[in-house]
Amino acid sequence: MRIINHPILGEAAPRKNITFNFNGEEMTGFSGEPIAAALRANNIIIHRYTRKFHSPRGVFCAIGRCTDCVMIVNGRPNVRTCVTALEEGMTVTTQYGAGGGA
Amino acid sequence: MSFDLMVIGAGPAGLSAAAEAASHGLKVAVFDENALPGGQLFKQIHKFFGSKEHKAKMRGIDIGIELLEETDSLGVKVFLNSPVVGLYKNREIVVRQKETVRHFKADSIIVATGASENLLPFDGWTLPGVMGAGAAQTMMNINRVKPGNRVLMLGSGNVGLVVGFQLLQAGCELVAIADAAPRIGGYGVHASKLTRTGVPFYLSHTIMRAEGRENVTGVVIGQVDENWQHIPDTEKHFEVDTICLAVGLSPSAQLLKMAGCKMSQNGTPVCDKSGETSLYNIFAAGDVSGIEEASSAMIEGRISAAAAAKKLGFISEKSFQKRSGELDAALSELRQGMFAPQNRNAPLEKTDEGFNISKSLLKKGYITEEEISEYPGFKPGAGIRPVIECTQNIPCDPCRDICPKGCIKVENIVSLPVYDENTNCTGCGLCVAACPGQAIFLTDDRPGKVEEGKVAITIPYEFLPLPEKVGPGMAYDRSGAPLCPAYVSKIQESAFLGKTPLVTFVVPKNMAMRARFWKAV
Ligand SMILES: Cc1cc2nc3c(=O)[nH]c(=O)nc-3n(C[C@H](O)[C@H](O)[C@H](O)COP(=O)(O)OP(=O)(O)OC[C@H]3O[C@@H](n4cnc5c(N)ncnc54)[C@H](O)[C@@H]3O)c2cc1C
Ligand code: SF4
Ligand code: SF4
Ligand code: FES
Repeated sequence: MRIINHPILGEAAPRKNITFNFNGEEMTGFSGEPIAAALRANNIIIHRYTRKFHSPRGVFCAIGRCTDCVMIVNGRPNVRTCVTALEEGMTVTTQYGAGGGA
Repeated sequence: MSFDLMVIGAGPAGLSAAAEAASHGLKVAVFDENALPGGQLFKQIHKFFGSKEHKAKMRGIDIGIELLEETDSLGVKVFLNSPVVGLYKNREIVVRQKETVRHFKADSIIVATGASENLLPFDGWTLPGVMGAGAAQTMMNINRVKPGNRVLMLGSGNVGLVVGFQLLQAGCELVAIADAAPRIGGYGVHASKLTRTGVPFYLSHTIMRAEGRENVTGVVIGQVDENWQHIPDTEKHFEVDTICLAVGLSPSAQLLKMAGCKMSQNGTPVCDKSGETSLYNIFAAGDVSGIEEASSAMIEGRISAAAAAKKLGFISEKSFQKRSGELDAALSELRQGMFAPQNRNAPLEKTDEGFNISKSLLKKGYITEEEISEYPGFKPGAGIRPVIECTQNIPCDPCRDICPKGCIKVENIVSLPVYDENTNCTGCGLCVAACPGQAIFLTDDRPGKVEEGKVAITIPYEFLPLPEKVGPGMAYDRSGAPLCPAYVSKIQESAFLGKTPLVTFVVPKNMAMRARFWKAV
């Protein structure tokens, strides 16, 4: 899903590869990119399930407004992954409801 | 900390306001909730319309870089990651920075918070894979990740058309653009760029449902009648993993409302000519004061800043009159033509010049051969020459400005471009690359340069990979239908062309006025 070469933006600048953990699985991403971008690059598009109807949500606005993309990051629930930078060793977990536990 | 002027929002309106004010000597601070300044600009990788003074033919991203250099050199203080959560009529703001909340005060405030994308509820609209067109743009142009592989775009305004084209540039497949309205809402030239690559338009079609249990796996659209009622048995199904919504923007005017500004029915603040709201020394500029364009947002920002500078005594009444006169003139130029705010709901039948507006262009996204032949930019003939397929009155004239030989005339900014046959086109290709609508082509049948019985056609080609020279391929017509085999004879890339490569391919002469795109086979 990564856009390596782009007709207008050119080649992607080299970025630092790091590993993070998604639901117990090791994945790679770029340091500092939004968590949501790294997940999309790993083909993960379901970020959370709503509390009442258990319906899946993913990225909707990508600018931190809608809260559809919130997940549990390093144990903290309700983190907007589209505007939160990915860091080495982060744990990212699908959020169920308010994030108090699956 | 105290400032003469505080600007909320570091988009094109806010940054322009800050630059203008700082140039008059005001101490300026800008606050933005984002980690990066620029607002929408850095997502806009396409060339802008307008005139030289509106930075036409520059890409939004490059305009953004220029604006940041300007604010930097003028010493404007930009606070990022700083959402403004409160605005009071005594010109005090509350800003959330990290875990703390800070208060700032200034003599003047310009609110330039832009707009947010509208939602459209339908069956399945909350599924992962349904997203705003702006979200798709952020993912592909800022984060450099494809939002999905196969996409349906809902909405045929300029946002839908532009983001649709950018999806193709990012390497996604765009299966269709659907819109419930009976005609394409955005510029015909933007639509045609898509149609000739094979993207179909479905007008008078609305979305019935998104399919999929855990995420989008398909979409169903269906036809509607004049009363927006669904017509049974008209459903069409597409396999897609992404549905993009480009169904309009709404001003982000919460702060202004909170401060107690008088608001109008449509959710925008009531402002005077300089953008001053009902509250003393609080201005609104850009999309927050009415959805328009970055080009107009930048001028509005400057107008408000000049007014603030005058009110605070930084410039005299006389220099204010002069400056605001220039800015007003530039703004009213942009607000002309058939897509201008005041003409939004008018029927599109004739151009200002009296030409019939193509019905096919409005419905299907391409102009037919019969229709195009009446236009003044379209004069088929021998030798090398431009063929200009720009048929609606939009504020734009870089084609005229860039031609070193004066071959293209545009009387006033919204007039249709005219090709003057009594000039000597050299075939430099500058007009082809400069045209933000990618509506200019060159035809060349000069003996000695092009084989007998053939014609070489030059098109703008902003895709990857670029064709291989003498690579075999196929020519396509305006509707995206394959026409005939065609080989590439030339590929041009240079700084002068502003990252719009030109591809020249050769076809039989009778295809000269039909072949408008090329694909490898
Ligand atoms: C797909 C697309 C294509 C477009 N193409 C063109 C084009 O070709 N030509 C053209 O002229 N225009 C184009 N536009 C329109 C143009 O982008 C907008 O009109 C323009 O960006 C409006 O500028 P602005 O400064 O008012 O708002 P914005 O660019 O939206 O900037 C607003 C800024 O305010 C910030 N903000 C909002 N609320 C707060 C708050 N409470 N606290 C702190 N900061 C806040 C936001 O983070 C943002 O950075 C296009 C728009 C889209 C979506
Ligand atoms: S190809 Fe060059 S000379 Fe010919 S019309 Fe275009 S800009 Fe002018
Ligand atoms: S042909 Fe000229 S006026 Fe029309 S879109 Fe292109 S540059 Fe603008
Ligand atoms: S996608 Fe809307 S907040 Fe992240």
